[in-house]
Amino acid sequence: MAETKPLSGGFVSLERVPMKRLFNNRPVIAALVVPGLLIMVFAMIIPIGFSVYYSLTNWSGIGDFQWVGFANYVEILTADPTFWRSLANVGILILVTVFLQNTAAFALAALLARLTPRWSRFFRTIYFIPAVLSVVVITALWGNIMNPTFGILNKFLSLFTTDPVTTSWLGKPATALGSVVWIIVWQGFGWALLFFYSALMTLPVELEEAAKIDGAGRWMTYTRVILPYLFPVISAIIVIDVISSLKQMEIIFLSTGGGPGDLTQFTAVYLYQKAFVASQYGYGNGLSILFVVVAVGLTLLVQRIFRTEGELA
Amino acid sequence: MTGPWLSSKNLGKVVLGAFLIVLALLQLFPLVWVFNYSLQKTGDLFGSAFFSLPAVPQWNNYVRAFVDGKILQSSINSVFIVVTSVAATSVLAFCIAYACTRMSWKLRKVVLGFVSLGMVIPIHVTLLPNFIWFGMFGMLDTHLSLIIPYVAFQISFSTLVIAAQLQSVPLAMEESAFMDGAKYRSILPKIIAPMAAPSIVTAMISTFLADWNEFIMANTYLATDDKRTLPFSIIRFQGVYASDYAVQFACMVLVAIPALIIFFLFSKWIMAGVSAGAVKG
Repeated sequence: MAETKPLSGGFVSLERVPMKRLFNNRPVIAALVVPGLLIMVFAMIIPIGFSVYYSLTNWSGIGDFQWVGFANYVEILTADPTFWRSLANVGILILVTVFLQNTAAFALAALLARLTPRWSRFFRTIYFIPAVLSVVVITALWGNIMNPTFGILNKFLSLFTTDPVTTSWLGKPATALGSVVWIIVWQGFGWALLFFYSALMTLPVELEEAAKIDGAGRWMTYTRVILPYLFPVISAIIVIDVISSLKQMEIIFLSTGGGPGDLTQFTAVYLYQKAFVASQYGYGNGLSILFVVVAVGLTLLVQRIFRTEGELA
Repeated sequence: MTGPWLSSKNLGKVVLGAFLIVLALLQLFPLVWVFNYSLQKTGDLFGSAFFSLPAVPQWNNYVRAFVDGKILQSSINSVFIVVTSVAATSVLAFCIAYACTRMSWKLRKVVLGFVSLGMVIPIHVTLLPNFIWFGMFGMLDTHLSLIIPYVAFQISFSTLVIAAQLQSVPLAMEESAFMDGAKYRSILPKIIAPMAAPSIVTAMISTFLADWNEFIMANTYLATDDKRTLPFSIIRFQGVYASDYAVQFACMVLVAIPALIIFFLFSKWIMAGVSAGAVKG
C-alpha cells in the first residue's frame, strides 16, 4: 500500500490519509504562495488597473485632467490609422516567425540532429549566441551593419555593382520594415532552433525506422510521420511565437522609432511614444489596455485553435 | 573499408559540414566585424575596403569606452540589481511551484494559471502606469523600481520550469522526512530544492539573461546617470560620441562580454531547460 501513486493530470495524487494534514497545511501554503503573488499583483495587476483609470482621462502627464469617458478608445478604434498599422505590423511579424523562421529553424534542426552530439552542440551553441545578447547591443550592431555610409551590408553589395550602394536600410520606406523584422528574426532564431532541436530529440527511434521499412523516402518521413508526431510541440512553439512577437518593442524603439512615417510602428512602441513623447498619457494608457486585450485574447485564441485541432488529429 | 574517401556518402557529410560552417560564420561575422573595428580608428571604418584588419590595435578605444561609458559603475549597478532579482525570483518561484504541485488545496490550479498569465502580458503595458504607481512610493529612480518588476515578470517562466520538474520527484521524499519529524522550513531547502536543482539552475540562468539585458524599464524608471544599468552605456555613447564609432563598438563589446561568458559557462543548462520547456509544451 505504500507505493507512490502515479502522477495524475500533472499533479501529485494525495489520497493517503496520514499525510493529508501535512500537505494541506494552510499557513504553509499561504507562506509559500502569497509573497510571489503579491509582487505580481503589485507590479503587474494594479498597474493595469491604473491604466484603465487613466485611459478614461485626457491627462497629458502633468497638471490637471478631465474625465473623458471612452473618448480615447473611440478615437483609437475609429480615427487612429497608426494603431491599426502597428497591429498589422505585429501580425506581419507573427506570420514571418511562424512560417519563415520556423521552417528554416526546423530544417536546420533536422540537419543538426544527424550530427554527432558533440558537433551538434557546438553548432547549436554558436547559432544561439544572438539570443543571449542585449537588445541594445543587437540593435546597435545591425544599425551599424545597415548604416548607409560605412555599413558592411552596403560595402558587400557594392562588390557586385559598378556604383557604390548607399541604401539607408532602416530609413527607406521600401526596406525599413523588412530590415527591422530581419533584426528581430536574427535574434529569435536561436530560440526557434533550440525548440525544434529539442522536439526532434524526443522522437522515438522506431518511428523513423518504421517509416523507412514501409518504404517512405526522407521527405515523406518528415511530412507524413515526423511533423504530425511533433504537432503538440509545434503548436506550443507557435503560441510562444505569438507571445514573443507581441512583446517586441526595444529593437524597433532603438532602431527606427516606428518610422519612416509609421511604417515600422509596433503597438508597444506606439503607446510608449504617445505617453512619454507626445504627452498624451491618457491616450497612451488607452492603447495599453487595448494592447493587453489583444495580447491575452490572441494568445488564448491560438491556444484554443491548436488544442481543438490536436484533439481531431 | 578501403573505398575512395570521397564516396557519395562522405560527400553528403562534407557538403552538410561546409554548409553548417558557412552558416556559423555568417552568424558570427557581425560580431567579428564589430570587434575588429573596435580596435581601429574611426576613420578606418569609412575606408572603401570591405574588411580590413587593424594596422595597430587601438586598445585605447577600450580604455575610453570603459571610462566614458561608465562601464564600472554601470556594471556594479547591473550586478546588484540582477543578483537580487535572480535570487528573489528563484526562491519565490520555487515556493509557488512547490505549493501548487505537491500540496493539496483547492485553488492551486487557479494560482498556477494566474502565474502563467504573467508570460502573456507584455511588460510594455505596465511601463506607463508603473511610472505613476512607483512614483507614489518614491521608488522611481531607485534600483528597487527595477528589481520588483523584474521579479514579477520572471516568476512565471521560472515557476513553470520548476513545477515541471517537481512533478517527477516521488512524494515519498517528503513523507519519510515528515516521519522523522522534519518541518517544511527544513525539508524545502534541504531535500526538495536539491532534487529540483537542474530546473532551478535553468530558471536562474534564463532570469539572469533576461534581467541583465533588460533595457526599456531601466530606461524608463531610472533618471540619474550613475544609477543606470549596463545596456544603457551604449545609448550614453551614441549621444556623447555620436561620430566616434570605434569607441562605440568597443563599448558594445564590453557590454556583450559578460552575457557571453555566462552563456558559454552554462550553455548546457540553458539547452536542457529549453528541452524541458519544449517537451512539456
